Amino acid sequence: MEKILSRNFSAGPLDFAAYKAADGYKTLESVIGRPRGDLLNELKQSGLKGCGGAGFLTALKWSFKAPDAPHPIYLVVNLDEAEPGSFKDRQVLYRDPHTLIEGTIAASYVLNADKAFIFIRGEYRKGARLLEKAVQEAHNNGLLGQNIMNSGWGLEIDVHLSAGRYICGEETALLNALEGYRANPRSKPPFPVAKGLWGQPTIVNNAETISHVPFILARGAQWFKDQGINGAFGSHIYQVSGAVKSPGFFELPLGTTAREIIFNQAGGMLPGRKLTGFLPGGASTQFMLPEHLDIPLHWDGPPTVGSRLGTGGIIVMDDHICPIDFMSNLMLFFTRESCGYCTPCRDGLPYVKHLLDKFEQGSATEKDIDTLKELCEVIYPNTFCAFAPGALMPITTGVEKFESLLHEHIKNKGCTMKRCA
Amino acid sequence: MFTEDELEHLREHLSHYPERRAGAIYCLYAVQDKIGYIDDKGIMMVTELTGLSKTQLEELITFFTLLRRRPVGRNVLRICDSISCHVMGSRQVLEAAEAHTGVALGEISRTGSVTILPSICLGLCNHAPAALLNDEDEVSRLTPESVQKLLDELDQQPFQQSATGSQVIATSGHSMLTEGRDH
Repeated sequence: MEKILSRNFSAGPLDFAAYKAADGYKTLESVIGRPRGDLLNELKQSGLKGCGGAGFLTALKWSFKAPDAPHPIYLVVNLDEAEPGSFKDRQVLYRDPHTLIEGTIAASYVLNADKAFIFIRGEYRKGARLLEKAVQEAHNNGLLGQNIMNSGWGLEIDVHLSAGRYICGEETALLNALEGYRANPRSKPPFPVAKGLWGQPTIVNNAETISHVPFILARGAQWFKDQGINGAFGSHIYQVSGAVKSPGFFELPLGTTAREIIFNQAGGMLPGRKLTGFLPGGASTQFMLPEHLDIPLHWDGPPTVGSRLGTGGIIVMDDHICPIDFMSNLMLFFTRESCGYCTPCRDGLPYVKHLLDKFEQGSATEKDIDTLKELCEVIYPNTFCAFAPGALMPITTGVEKFESLLHEHIKNKGCTMKRCA
Repeated sequence: MFTEDELEHLREHLSHYPERRAGAIYCLYAVQDKIGYIDDKGIMMVTELTGLSKTQLEELITFFTLLRRRPVGRNVLRICDSISCHVMGSRQVLEAAEAHTGVALGEISRTGSVTILPSICLGLCNHAPAALLNDEDEVSRLTPESVQKLLDELDQQPFQQSATGSQVIATSGHSMLTEGRDH
């Protein structure tokens, strides 16, 4: 597989001239001017799915835009990457911002969008600055503005720096944040593709997804398909964090196994550490165990063992940390980041955290295990958005996979591992 | 608080959205970048610029983590305590940092040099335990010792006024790309 999104990472961030010299923006020659229906069809054939974690078919999402959708049409590039353990979009932003712009232009052309907002989390301020400079360069060189490449079509890109909060990554919450409201999710329908930013048709996609688009359109769906392995299409920037020798990001064929990624690419576990489990794609994915290492990490792999690919940000858990402490830390994150709009999430998640802490501190009883399970079942289907269900994915599976540990904690009146509080 | 040029730039920025309130965060950042936090005077100014009420602005500031209503130290160090950093020992780093400043997290250190805040995942998981200094500078592979050394260095550092107002803001919009860059 060739490196696609990360091809310039070692040299970057490239300025416009250097990017152009490295064949940058070349894809646009075979995209802009081609019939939009053909392009959308090509994208459909490629099987590209949303890399932000949901894995929804990109072309299908785009096809929901009505043929007579009123202008202005907006494209929103979601770079609110805040999923713990995920740092792939950050790499594109910081190491090769022009790749993101090339993708944004190509995607906007297909969608006939008039304006693209690139929504960047506040913690990536330095990256936003780099991107803004790149946008200005693209503008000065005629790739943005009116009548791009004599196509009669024009586009402006607006770099929008947000100010924190994980929930902004939820697409409708993002739209509220962008409009200057609190980032509470909106009810769907209407979906953003019908009524999004300021009531106009709006397509929201993850930054990595958007970056893939021009290469698929220029080189063809078959080429993209050939980049994947084990039945998957394309490449993916996998990330590994935790107690491994070389934590980092690796652009690999989609469908690479967790064993290859953790033990080969990331160098394996630190000396004296043993793998006890891992979350395959960020904090809101279900636990996988060492016996699942050979499952290919693509959209259909982890679901065979009750998990999901998520962002492909693998968080490694090792024998130096108690799984219950691990789960409690995840809940610390989710309780803090709940937007507070609906009760099951706002009040339910802190209750889950409280129960987990009881095990750690030694005040839990057998009844608390039942309460914990029941609580997860009650919260899961009753929240306004996907935040709490996501938050509970590692908890329900963790409770199930490490249930013997819960009993042990009750018996020992707390955690016996050194690293637990 | 702002020069006439900066005010003009903010008005220009607000006007490039269909609704002015979309630029509220931008204006609040501008105030914060200028004086370190958002004070009452700053709120009143953003009220005039955006047409939002004081309450509506407070609503935004209390929601968005990176906006603050209270003064901070000369530096702000956000130490990640999310899972990847947690498994690599961020709790010990936070404890060491808090002990070094002599005050609780979120308060200004006794020397005035720093405010330490726990932070959600910063996207620096491959450098865990990690932190972000003054919103932009990445601090990698912290240990209780290295964070104390960093805090010592911040104590020694003379205060440098960072660039002010619009110059330090990263967000754009085409109108800003042609305007206000060279002030």
